[in-house]
Amino acid sequence: MPEIVLDGLVKRYGSCRAADGLSLEIRDGEYLCILGPTGSGKTTCLRMICGLTRPDGGRVLFDGRDATRDPVSARSATMLSQSYSLFPPKTVHENVMFSPKIKEWPEEEAKQVVKSMIGMVHMESKAESYPRELSGGQQQRTALARALASDSEILLLDEPLRALDARLRLELRKELRSMVKEMGLTAIHVTHDQDEALEMADRIAVIRGGRIIQVGTPMDVFRDPATPFVANFVGRSNIFSGRKTGESGGASEIEVSGAGGAVATVRARASDIPIGGAAAVAVKIGATAMAGSGGDGPGYFPGKVARVLYEGATITVEADTPFGAVSAKLPDRMYEDYSEGMEVSIGWRPEDASVFGTPPERLEEELRLD
Amino acid sequence: MSLFDRINEASDSGRHRKAWFGLVCIVFVSLIVVPSVFVVSKIFTDWALVEGVLGDPGTASVIQGAIANSFSIALIVTVLDILVGIPMAWIMVRKQFRGKRYLDTAMDMPLAFPTAVLGISVVMFWGAPEGIDVPGLGLSLSPYVMVLLLHLIFTYPYMVRSLSAILEQIEPNYETAAMTLSASRFTAVRTITLPLFRAGLVTGFILCFARSLSETGGTYIALKMLGFQSSFFTGPTFINNAKSMLGADAAMGPLILISVLMIVLALALLVAARVLMARFKIPVSRVWPRLGRRLSRGAVPKAKDAFSVAFLVAVILIPSFYIFAFLTRPIADIDYGALAGAIGTSFLVAGAAVAFDIAFGIPMALYIARNRGALAGKILDELVNVPLIIPTTALGFSLALFWTSIYDGGSSAVVLAMVILGHISFTYPLVVRNIIGAVEEVDASYEEVAMTLGAKPFQAFTDVLAPIIKSSVIAGAILAFTRSLGETGATSSISTAVDTVPVYIMKLVNGRMYSEAAMCSIILIMICFVLIFAVRAVLGRGARDA
Repeated sequence: MPEIVLDGLVKRYGSCRAADGLSLEIRDGEYLCILGPTGSGKTTCLRMICGLTRPDGGRVLFDGRDATRDPVSARSATMLSQSYSLFPPKTVHENVMFSPKIKEWPEEEAKQVVKSMIGMVHMESKAESYPRELSGGQQQRTALARALASDSEILLLDEPLRALDARLRLELRKELRSMVKEMGLTAIHVTHDQDEALEMADRIAVIRGGRIIQVGTPMDVFRDPATPFVANFVGRSNIFSGRKTGESGGASEIEVSGAGGAVATVRARASDIPIGGAAAVAVKIGATAMAGSGGDGPGYFPGKVARVLYEGATITVEADTPFGAVSAKLPDRMYEDYSEGMEVSIGWRPEDASVFGTPPERLEEELRLD
Repeated sequence: MSLFDRINEASDSGRHRKAWFGLVCIVFVSLIVVPSVFVVSKIFTDWALVEGVLGDPGTASVIQGAIANSFSIALIVTVLDILVGIPMAWIMVRKQFRGKRYLDTAMDMPLAFPTAVLGISVVMFWGAPEGIDVPGLGLSLSPYVMVLLLHLIFTYPYMVRSLSAILEQIEPNYETAAMTLSASRFTAVRTITLPLFRAGLVTGFILCFARSLSETGGTYIALKMLGFQSSFFTGPTFINNAKSMLGADAAMGPLILISVLMIVLALALLVAARVLMARFKIPVSRVWPRLGRRLSRGAVPKAKDAFSVAFLVAVILIPSFYIFAFLTRPIADIDYGALAGAIGTSFLVAGAAVAFDIAFGIPMALYIARNRGALAGKILDELVNVPLIIPTTALGFSLALFWTSIYDGGSSAVVLAMVILGHISFTYPLVVRNIIGAVEEVDASYEEVAMTLGAKPFQAFTDVLAPIIKSSVIAGAILAFTRSLGETGATSSISTAVDTVPVYIMKLVNGRMYSEAAMCSIILIMICFVLIFAVRAVLGRGARDA
């Protein structure tokens, strides 16, 4: 079973760098999600692993062996593309049979494998149908069966759920992950959907500008983002910038500055930024508290409710403050507690706020979603 | 290890793929491009011959006249095709009516007719040649107008097809949107849809122009039947005439001069058409809403449609089919042995050419389709057009010069091989163009996914891509086959000794055996019909599969 190491991959298209010193270790049998905005180099990364794109620099190692120049067909890394690419002139059965036939397996064994794969994705009744006769979900499952029947140990999933209806997409997340796990494959799943990544991955690698900027379990990446960009891309955050003024009780104190010379001191996690150094604070909108007048305890600064959005199980309250717009995600039972124009006090628990040494002038560039 | 496995193994290595592709490029350049334009070098090596012609005002002015006729006829024909082709393309793509399928088939008919046959048919219809008297239609037309009418017939389907192909890709939504914004249909079409047509116009323009410029057999036969064969020339008929009357050696000077002029002017035109059409913008900034509304309602659109259909029937279809009138006359006694021999030769030449086209055209087409962005892809893409635009008669002459300069054996097998090479040159672009179009429609991800599933590049092609593009390859092959079957100029300018069917018909006409010529033509048409219906059957099935 393979362990994949990407070592300093570089790929340029003209002046654009799709991979810019990309390094990543994928563990044996792991379900890894590569999460990044459009144009961050996700697909290029996948294509370099399976060999469809040859890197300009760097190495791809399978189990410590340099596979950078191996032909595509020799890598046993199978791609499941977002358009599924089921071969139109072949039936479901023939599509799934593709790899066993190519690899010249004994006929009985091939038939057995194909049958069990088609069964696994519940496509028995459609085995003789052509791709154009299948619904999106059925096409997706056929493509998966075809990939699983290939005997490959590595499965590369390029936004495999993108073309499906929203509801089906949610259902297939669990199904896809459990099938991959059952087969014991190493899976690399590329997506721009943070919920999908959080729900499906053993570990998430956040990619941006052709570089991996953080790798960790979904909880690590969500709760302890490495940069303000990660904080805002994996679960939205409210972000403030200012200067560190002190440290007390295991928390840093940061003086944030806003419009019209407004200043406020907020508390966040301890950090090794020196006193007086520039600091940016990021708080997940789900961890942000917005207390109405007469609510519980004083917040760090006041704001005025601009909008209340009803989302079903949750509501999002947006407030205007001297430090920019601030959002808070709250349970829907609190919908009646807020109204437009209401004065609120904004706060959070210091341990929920991440601190970064990013100076204010670089913050906007840092947060840009390319 | 089977051959398939060997190729398959080899295809996994990038070096082998490059080597194979390099070989294909070398074959393309050395067998097709260089021989096609070789004659241009003669202008430098044999300048004395050319100078002799230029010094002879009689011949020089005849050549000048022939070139002027060729290019002006091609231009007029192409412009007329555009004017009547646009409304017709509209009818074929946007309108639904009963019998549309038959109209669609009828439109392709002139493509199935060898032009030599059309020459006979058109003169019979419009003129009153010796031997056949068509009551009431014995119009007295100048040879120029007659050739124009003839060329309209076989260029018109190309124009309508190119325009329809583009129109099918342009969503009617744009027009609908413009109309919901209260533009009249006329204004919507003129300002929104027509400007999107540019690409189709360029393709149609080049195809029609090149076809008209190339045509030899039909034009020669028409002129011969009218008795103008030695007083009125187009470029190709001049070459044809000079070669058969004087012999290639005696006429070398004029032949070189006119071939070079035709090739250089045609290529210059190809470049100019590209550049001008890219710059040329259909004026859209001004609108005349009231005029637009008046043109969009009531009788005007109906009259336009009626005129388009009438033009198709009266100018294109009836003159093409008029040759069947011969069937009402006593059946001429033809030399079946000679005809069968000619048919055999025609099939041999066409079959060999098409087999070559497919074997060497597919790799080229794949490369061009998948490397459009790269410089090499762009250059090859343009080079493939070169043999298409060069008049086939000049091409044949050039090719014969090239190969005889290398090996002057002159045995009949060598001559036949040269004819096959000539036919390869002008059919290769047709096959390659068709496959490029088909491959571009297919998402590259099919092959990529196949490779990640363990297929080697060659297997990915044979197992995945080939079944998808199969019907286009066959369609392209049959198109090339019929084109080869109908070609006169290239064959006769390479050698007058190889009797393909059109050359045989031309010889019969030369001998004033019109009834025999017509009868052979009818038999040839029948063969071509069977082929064209085969295309439609294959395409029809392909459309259902896709």
